[in-house]
Amino acid sequence: MLHLRPHNLLVQKTLSEALEANTNGTPLTLDRIVSDFDYTTLHISNAPENKGVLWLSIRTKAWQSISQCGSGLVEFILTKYSGLGGVSAARTEPGYDFTLQVDLSALQPDAIVQLSLLKVIIMSFPFQLAFDKVAQLMQLPEGSNSTDEVHKIQYRDDENIFIKPSNDRITVIFETFFQDETDKVFGKVFLQEFVDARKRNRSIQSAPQVLFSHEAPLEISRVVNQGRSERSKRFITFVLFPRHFQTPELQFSSVCHLALFRNYFHYHIKCSKAFMHTRMRYRVDSFIKVLNRAKVDEEDDAQGDASRRTISGRKMVY
Amino acid sequence: MSQSLRPYLTAVRFSLQAALTLSNFSSQVVERHNRPEVEVEHTSAELLFAPMHISRNEHEQVLIEPSVNSVRVSIKVKQADEIEQILVHKFTRFLEQRAEAFYVLRRVPVQGFSISFLITNRHTETMSGAKLVDFIIEFMEEVDKEISEMKLFLNARARFVAEAYLGEFVY
Amino acid sequence: MSYLNNPAIVMDNGTGLTKLGFAGNDSPSWIFPTAIATAQPSTTKKASTGLGGSQSTSTGGNAFFGNSTSATSFNDLAASSLLSNNLAGKRGTEDLDFYIGNEALAASQGPSYSLSYPIRHGQVENWDHMERFWENSIFKYLRTEPEDHFFLMTEPPLNPPENREQVAEIFFESFNCAGLYIAVQAVLALAASWTSPKVTDRSLTGTVIDSGDGVTHVIPVAEGYVIGSAIKNIPIAGRDITLFIQSMLRERGEADTSLRTAERIKQEYCYVCKDIVQEFNKFDRDPQKFAQFIVENNEKTSRKVVDVGYERFLAPEIFFNMEIATSDFLTPLPTVVDQTIQACPIDVRKGLYNNIVLSGGSTMFKDFGRRLQRDLKSIVNSRIAQSELLSGTKSTGVDVEVISHRRQRNAVWFGGSLLAQTPEFKSYCHTKKDYEEYGPSIVRNFSLFNMV
Repeated sequence: MLHLRPHNLLVQKTLSEALEANTNGTPLTLDRIVSDFDYTTLHISNAPENKGVLWLSIRTKAWQSISQCGSGLVEFILTKYSGLGGVSAARTEPGYDFTLQVDLSALQPDAIVQLSLLKVIIMSFPFQLAFDKVAQLMQLPEGSNSTDEVHKIQYRDDENIFIKPSNDRITVIFETFFQDETDKVFGKVFLQEFVDARKRNRSIQSAPQVLFSHEAPLEISRVVNQGRSERSKRFITFVLFPRHFQTPELQFSSVCHLALFRNYFHYHIKCSKAFMHTRMRYRVDSFIKVLNRAKVDEEDDAQGDASRRTISGRKMVY
Repeated sequence: MSQSLRPYLTAVRFSLQAALTLSNFSSQVVERHNRPEVEVEHTSAELLFAPMHISRNEHEQVLIEPSVNSVRVSIKVKQADEIEQILVHKFTRFLEQRAEAFYVLRRVPVQGFSISFLITNRHTETMSGAKLVDFIIEFMEEVDKEISEMKLFLNARARFVAEAYLGEFVY
Repeated sequence: MSYLNNPAIVMDNGTGLTKLGFAGNDSPSWIFPTAIATAQPSTTKKASTGLGGSQSTSTGGNAFFGNSTSATSFNDLAASSLLSNNLAGKRGTEDLDFYIGNEALAASQGPSYSLSYPIRHGQVENWDHMERFWENSIFKYLRTEPEDHFFLMTEPPLNPPENREQVAEIFFESFNCAGLYIAVQAVLALAASWTSPKVTDRSLTGTVIDSGDGVTHVIPVAEGYVIGSAIKNIPIAGRDITLFIQSMLRERGEADTSLRTAERIKQEYCYVCKDIVQEFNKFDRDPQKFAQFIVENNEKTSRKVVDVGYERFLAPEIFFNMEIATSDFLTPLPTVVDQTIQACPIDVRKGLYNNIVLSGGSTMFKDFGRRLQRDLKSIVNSRIAQSELLSGTKSTGVDVEVISHRRQRNAVWFGGSLLAQTPEFKSYCHTKKDYEEYGPSIVRNFSLFNMV
């Protein structure tokens, strides 16, 4: 598996099963926790009075900071589901940030994928604000078309995404932090390659420009809290040009990939470590083979042994 | 093999061959005990022979500590940068974790070295000394090769991963 | 420390099936075969690894080690990646090209993947494959960042401690998981039985009968510790029953005798009877007992009708009268259970008799527990009668209690889920920090859950 998929496979599977069971007339009793990257927990459960209605609740670390980015987050999410039958807002379940009500009898199979994208849709809200802002700024005359608006998504404890729109681009800055020493070194190699990849490979010239720094880039120096573990922080900047967000489809695909950026490269760091384990296991085996060659074969070194055998071929033991 | 590596390995080989003259030797302190004298603290001086230190440069060194019934061989593997340092650490720890299968591998390296072997008279009796020396030499060659291959792999993988990710943005 | 809110992950990797899920759920989120389909080296464009090709068919997946100087192939990768953006065809990334679970079964139908099962007899055989299996389970199926979650893994009884260390090495070094707990499957199965209303005290003493697809184990557990010396195995389990049904269908010449049909019949129609002779008579008197099973193909275009006859009660009877199906092993299950308990220290035997817990799919037959309890009771009672006769004293008697419960099929996973959702769970785990301080040997010991 090279790429992580934006949709949650388990939500998709659970909802498909629930839909199928419901159409067969035997609705499932569900009370499931499903997890997603970055401190996200989803909860799928039956509505108390009707088994044909499901509640899909989400709790995610990023919710608080996203809802502070601008007003209208809930409306934004609901517009994404407005065209789909059977999905509506519900009273938010206690302990969760947002709840959707899914009426299985009216649910179309296509809507399931959209439901499994719930986390990405929430993450895409500040990006959407930025896309709108750019469009707005492009209309304004030169000179007055700058803004100091910066959206901050706090998606992990010590890690943030900053999104800064300007008149011709959007700057997305990831603030990351490695807990593990090995990861820190491996991460440096990986991040450096992200920076270099675009320069080296002609076919991906049109990808966003990537920059890497140890200090907060100027764009966000104002909003970054110069707090703890400053030394181990890394900043990765993606510069999105209008060609990356011309159409809603492109916008969505860009957001999907950016939202999974951290997971993607952490996943690959782990894959490389797993591969190294494979190599090392192989090396261990080959070293042991060499060492075993050193063992003196008991049979042919001791000539005298042959005479000290019983008639059945057993060795004499003293 | 680079020019300066060969004399280095040859030096290690001859020193090891010279050191691998071990004999069964009972402990002078504890009755009916027989322990590798090089590992025992405060052992009497006549049981320890002069240690040999072979150094190619400051990153690559071998320390051979012979004694009457055991030899301790410590190897410092080349670690040019941070990545190699991590890789060597990971690799040697992985080997030490499986020390049981290696008979002569020490679970903890001697201070200042990456990995240590302890060869006792028990080993030289059941294994051919020349082949043991071969193993150590081959180990030294292979470790360097493995570390540099892993480093190459890491870079190649990182590049591949980065290009694959950015490739998704090409419309 | 917001990982405290994240649910722990419970992974039960069995020989046949893997169960994955989150603590607190009542059933595993994913159940799929513990299978991995790895890319065959032949699909890579360059056929330079003649040696590697032949090697990897046997060992599976060491293609990139075909020659000892694999540096060359990595240089190739670097060169080719500069030339083209054709990502899929690149070399050196074979380790990402694999599928697990049901997708592996599907992929292995094609020519470019070879299937392998990394777990044999409950123990991991191929760590390379297992590591990648876990990698995909975590990132693709569970969608979790292992750094944020605690993991509960299971292991078979008598698993060597070295294997635990390997698991710890993989989970802490490759995946950086937040914390790890490794539990013995039988103990988790005991914990799962606490959901049954019959269980009054939540003790970890009891006999676990774990019957999966390949083999049936009888495992005595005292106070949370497995009594290893007394464990007994029966080489008869789910697969033998399925094969038995299949052979009966074939003898009668039914319209469909595929293994799949036999398995469905086993799951839907089989039950355990009180007495075979009576049951035969009942069937002969009452033709209603004969069932019909309808096989439809995927497109629901054709229908085949398969009659289900005596195999309804004969197949599960194998556990009690082995000679029906095999001549290799002839001790009936109740006798094996009795022998197991008799091999245990005398002071725990009572506890073992009155808490016999079933676990695994092949114990799901209707009335399986009741029959086992009856047969075992008669063995025990006759022994007590014998000893009373010989000693002339009155025995206080032994209670035999076989416990069936609703979570039997995934009892091990469910027990894990039950334990891992408790607030104390995280204090029993070894964390990444502990691992870094003490090394892999730390996982040789885990403190037991003592739940009240």
